[in-house]
Amino acid sequence: MHGVRRARQTQEALEAKRLKDQSKLHDYLALSDDVLARKKQKDWSREALRSTTQLLQINPEFYTVWNYRRHILVNGIFPESTPEQIKDLLKDDLSLTMAALKIHPKVYWIWTHRGWCLNNVPSGPGVDGEGDLRGWEKELWNQELFVVEKLLDADPRNFHAWSYRRVVLDSLPVPKPETSELAYTTRKIESNFSNFSAWHQRSKVLSSLWSTGRLDQTKSKEEEFDLVQNAMYTDPRDQSVWIYHRWLIGSGDNKEILDREIAVIQSLLEEETDSKWCMESLVHYKRLLLHNHAALVDKSALTRNCIHLLEQLREVDPGRRARYDEIELEITRL
Amino acid sequence: MSHETNTLLIPLHVSYIENLGKNKNDLIYHLTAHLRMNAIYWGLTALCTMNHREALDRDEMIDYVMSCWDEETGGFGAHPDHDAHILSTLSAIQILVTQDAIGRLDIDRVVKFILSLQQPSGVFAGDSFGEIDTRFSYIAVNALSLLGRLGDLNVEKTVSYIVQCRNFDGGFGSRIGAESHAGQVFVCCAALTILDRLDEIDTPTLSWWLAERQLPNGGLNGRPEKLEDVCYSFWVLASLSMLKKVHYIDSDKLISFILSAQDPEGGGIADRPGDMPDVFHTHFGMAGLSLLGYPGLVDIDPVYCMPAALIENLGLRKGWQSLERRMR
Repeated sequence: MHGVRRARQTQEALEAKRLKDQSKLHDYLALSDDVLARKKQKDWSREALRSTTQLLQINPEFYTVWNYRRHILVNGIFPESTPEQIKDLLKDDLSLTMAALKIHPKVYWIWTHRGWCLNNVPSGPGVDGEGDLRGWEKELWNQELFVVEKLLDADPRNFHAWSYRRVVLDSLPVPKPETSELAYTTRKIESNFSNFSAWHQRSKVLSSLWSTGRLDQTKSKEEEFDLVQNAMYTDPRDQSVWIYHRWLIGSGDNKEILDREIAVIQSLLEEETDSKWCMESLVHYKRLLLHNHAALVDKSALTRNCIHLLEQLREVDPGRRARYDEIELEITRL
Repeated sequence: MSHETNTLLIPLHVSYIENLGKNKNDLIYHLTAHLRMNAIYWGLTALCTMNHREALDRDEMIDYVMSCWDEETGGFGAHPDHDAHILSTLSAIQILVTQDAIGRLDIDRVVKFILSLQQPSGVFAGDSFGEIDTRFSYIAVNALSLLGRLGDLNVEKTVSYIVQCRNFDGGFGSRIGAESHAGQVFVCCAALTILDRLDEIDTPTLSWWLAERQLPNGGLNGRPEKLEDVCYSFWVLASLSMLKKVHYIDSDKLISFILSAQDPEGGGIADRPGDMPDVFHTHFGMAGLSLLGYPGLVDIDPVYCMPAALIENLGLRKGWQSLERRMR
């Protein structure tokens, strides 16, 4: 259980609650026993389906009952139904899971059932009835994108929703171009720079666009550095941006970019003199200079500068001093 | 900070765990039946960590585990008549190994069940309905190694999927494309450790990402800009332990944080100070304290999250690092 405050309750209050729960408990156990008994007897009837609906509305974490529900649909009800009826039954389950997700947005079993529904949509006409065999799939997968967006608006860090979003994007009968997903991450980042989930998604989309040549990597990276610089200056304490920046720099084989970014961060440090992230990044990037461009730099000056930064880091971030000690050892060993 | 919560209240936590199974008149007890097998593993291991395993009856526990055997599939469910799932199957195996009762198991059938869940991509599903997650990859590797059947595993396929889950921050996600999360980092590090493939980890970057999980209040979070939570005291710490970078975080502050999340009245540990305790956080908080060298606790193996001596006797101990056990 997460995030439930401890409440000091009187004995009377506890007893009253226990009594109130007794009838709930009695009903719940009766329902649960009934459903599990039907399951044992392989009852695939509509009545059984209704019992599972009731039980899952009370307890959507009862994974065995989601399993049973799927067995009822596949073994009992679908075989007697037309494709259109199957589609409608699945839409009912989409409503059921939607209602459950509004209260329990992080329960794996609910997301899994939703995905199962989508994967079982039969071939058939869509809204326009134009005879497109993937019409229903298109309608429902497009709707999923909308559903996931709503859930990510409510909680932009919900990793279940982000994972599901990636599944939806992969499954759309008419794929959306990756550049449109890039634009989605831009929207999420611009609404809150502190959304690491969006930066992460962006890193995946860009990697794909670069490796397939659909976006020119050099030009695109420059745009990323601009975006990141803006975010850094807006809130230098947010680690998402710094972690993303480190990825953009990569192995540090481009000295021009390395020098430029070091200068940018150096300026920021002059304004934000306690910024642990500026100091940490400068040490890392200067080490990359020492490692990759030794012949072109003043090694001893850079090393002294790193050591000075590490001293400051030990002061502003004493909890992590052992790591700074280790880095200093590594630098001076060279 | 209350004086009561700056030491570990072992007797209180032992009785907290002892009393967990006695709540059969509580609605919440029944609403969590789908977690029961896991909860017993958490409770048992927490007791072992406190050196009080005798507080729960061994025979009753073993009988319970065996009553959850799903004869049709060859795995264990969370509760009698619940379907087999890889999550409850691992907990069942861990309980039987800890209780030295592995002889009760039809090992061939369980191995067959586990191996049947591997997908063409190399990841494992949780059950026949196909939910995939690197947690399940870890579970498969862990379970097979406890059963001495790692040789039956397609290691290359298993490792290859995990490697594809590696992200720009050095961390790992639940599936290919997913964001790094400390829980997923733990399972991927542990699976790679068991398979002797730590070379696939970008240790400098990942140990940095892990170190940055510590917040000013001393607690650890699971991802950038999220709240601290006692369970990350294990997921993050165990990962650092496998990478031999436990010293990257402030152990005194983390110990204080975990201790402050104790319930000094009823016992148990919560996700954060002032919240309701539960056996999940009690177990992981305790395991974290053990890795941090808290006095009076038993050594826990971070890879398996089981007593270290037991894992060592099975010949499964890997080269991880924990802090020296303090003397009071």
